[in-house]
Amino acid sequence: MRRLIALLVLLASAAGASPATAQSQPAVMQGLFLLTDYPAQTVRAGEITTIRVKLQNSGLAPEAMALSLSGVPAGWKIDILGGGQPVASAMPGQNESVSLQLRVEVPKDARPGTQQVVLSAKGARLQSAELPLALTVGTEAPAKLSMKSRLPSLRGTPRSSFEYTVTVGNDSGKDLTVALSAQGPANFQTTFTEGFGSNEISSIPIEAGQTKDIKLKVTPPRDVKAGDYPVLVKVASEGATAELRVTLQVSGQGRLALSTKDGRLSGEAEVGKSSTYTLQLSNDGTAAVDDIEMTGSAPTNWKVEFNPKSLAALAPNEKKDVQVVVTPSDKAIAGDYVASFRATARGESSAADFRITVTTSTLWGVVGIGIIAVALLVLLGAVARFGRR
Amino acid sequence: MPRSKARQGSPFTGLGPVFMKEFADHLSSARMTVLLLFVIAFGAFPVASSLQELRTVSAADPFLFLRIFTLAPERMPISFALALNFIIPLMAIGLGFDSVNSEFSRRTLSRVLSQPIYRDALLLGKFLGGLATLAVTLTALWLIVFGAGLLLLGLPPRGVEVARAACFLMAAIAYGGVWLAVSLLFSVIFRSAATSALCALGLWLFFFLLWPMIAEAITLGFAPSQIRSAEEFLAVEQMGFALLRLSPGTLFSEAVLGLLNPETRTFGSLLPAQMRGVIPGAPLPFDQSLLLIWPQITGLIAGMIVVFAAAYVIFQREEVRA
Repeated sequence: MRRLIALLVLLASAAGASPATAQSQPAVMQGLFLLTDYPAQTVRAGEITTIRVKLQNSGLAPEAMALSLSGVPAGWKIDILGGGQPVASAMPGQNESVSLQLRVEVPKDARPGTQQVVLSAKGARLQSAELPLALTVGTEAPAKLSMKSRLPSLRGTPRSSFEYTVTVGNDSGKDLTVALSAQGPANFQTTFTEGFGSNEISSIPIEAGQTKDIKLKVTPPRDVKAGDYPVLVKVASEGATAELRVTLQVSGQGRLALSTKDGRLSGEAEVGKSSTYTLQLSNDGTAAVDDIEMTGSAPTNWKVEFNPKSLAALAPNEKKDVQVVVTPSDKAIAGDYVASFRATARGESSAADFRITVTTSTLWGVVGIGIIAVALLVLLGAVARFGRR
Repeated sequence: MPRSKARQGSPFTGLGPVFMKEFADHLSSARMTVLLLFVIAFGAFPVASSLQELRTVSAADPFLFLRIFTLAPERMPISFALALNFIIPLMAIGLGFDSVNSEFSRRTLSRVLSQPIYRDALLLGKFLGGLATLAVTLTALWLIVFGAGLLLLGLPPRGVEVARAACFLMAAIAYGGVWLAVSLLFSVIFRSAATSALCALGLWLFFFLLWPMIAEAITLGFAPSQIRSAEEFLAVEQMGFALLRLSPGTLFSEAVLGLLNPETRTFGSLLPAQMRGVIPGAPLPFDQSLLLIWPQITGLIAGMIVVFAAAYVIFQREEVRA
């Protein structure tokens, strides 16, 4: 029992010791701070400027801090906003901060010059913080946009779509609505989407000093030749533009097409006899197609043979004739059938459905006439045998 | 057969007058009027109702005109082709059942044969006269149907439709010829016209009503107790079809099916292997349809000739003086 008490005391003393060790660590600045990125700013006469301010509480107990402004020039109107609403006090938690905005409304007739405004926060106890702001009335820095892309050059085939992520920054002190446009070679399709969204956009609002990621998707026409294609991306808003050049490296791709010379995909075949059709294999793509294999699927027990069975290569815009020999099965019934022929290469294939009208031999027609002739012969025999007088 | 008995001159001497006389007699007889009324009643109703129904069809049908013949209207569950299937035997039997024995009973046969007319020519003339009458009636009926179709559908038939319909008419005449030959055979065998008519009608009823059942019974009797494969099933089915095809009515209806439904590829079942790659509903070309039904047409024509030959042999051996 005494041992247990001793252990408890030991634990308690260990627990009590830990804050002491934390205090002895490199000093965490204690206090209350009012922070802003740019304590000296330019404001424009007749316009509203928003200044971001942060009330930081480092290591102090939370307390309601009354906010006040002093030194506001006559005719100026400065509101303290928190979460979009005018606020009179703020209460940051321990080691936390509260975001505030100063909405500075400068009268039109404000004279150029620097005005000192002090924002102060006072707690009920002795804690307080002050933030002097130097607001210079003058001609505002012109609206400025910046643009950059992490991957300005992409590579792909005519069938792939090229997606560039472009970061557009608003380097001016004003919120801007930025119009987006892209100029590519003829028949290149360009669309803009926002970040991860799927909606197409044509303009995007960007707050002052912020950046936004937009996505540019370029779809080249299918028949585009291999090569490098530049696309000029332009963003524009009132008085400011920015340009960025992105590049598409289109590598060639072959495209097989299987058809016949006149486009007719039907033919006739007699039961059990081979018929030959001439197919035409063409490459409409932009690169050669290698190792083309011909296959065909036809009704059961039909024979399909290709001549040649395979082609080593087919250059772009080249056409080659392929003979296909189709032999319908002996037991096929007259009528229309579908046989499909397919040309397969690496990553490329093309199929053509061929309608084959199967005809039966006229031999049985002749046999039928023969049977009628036999019947007539029987009749003639009867006439010869039984004819009277 | 001694050579001296061989006759002189053509056996067809006198064929022309006999044919013309028979033809004229048939066309002017009261029996013909009754048969015509019968045909019109049985033929007109299916055609009229199928035309009524076809007028409301809006789907494009490349063989719309042929549907007049084959469409079974809702109000009357028989098509024109099916109606012909049993009217034609009745007509043919009506025209032929007393052609020879009436000559016996009127005692005019020896008088006719005393003219320079061979027996061959007499029998052939009677047969051809009946066949011509049948052909004229059927052609008239066919033309009426065609005209009504033109009037009520308001669209001309295509060439291939006319060709198919014309072949259908030929098949109908051949089918009539078979039954005409059968009734002629009975009129030669039996001296009594009533017996002859009864036998011919009995045979018709037998083929029309009884034969399908008998054929089925025979097929079932010969079929293996267990059908294990599609091939066995097909073999059994083929046997059933072969038995059924002994009836001229089956041959005719199959010929009609092949001609007027161009989508018909075959009459029996198809093996699954044969069905692969088939484009369903694709019509056969006309010549392929003809080849498909050619055995049926052959059977009808050859049957007609053989039955006529039998009638001829029996007639030649008969004693005429009575």
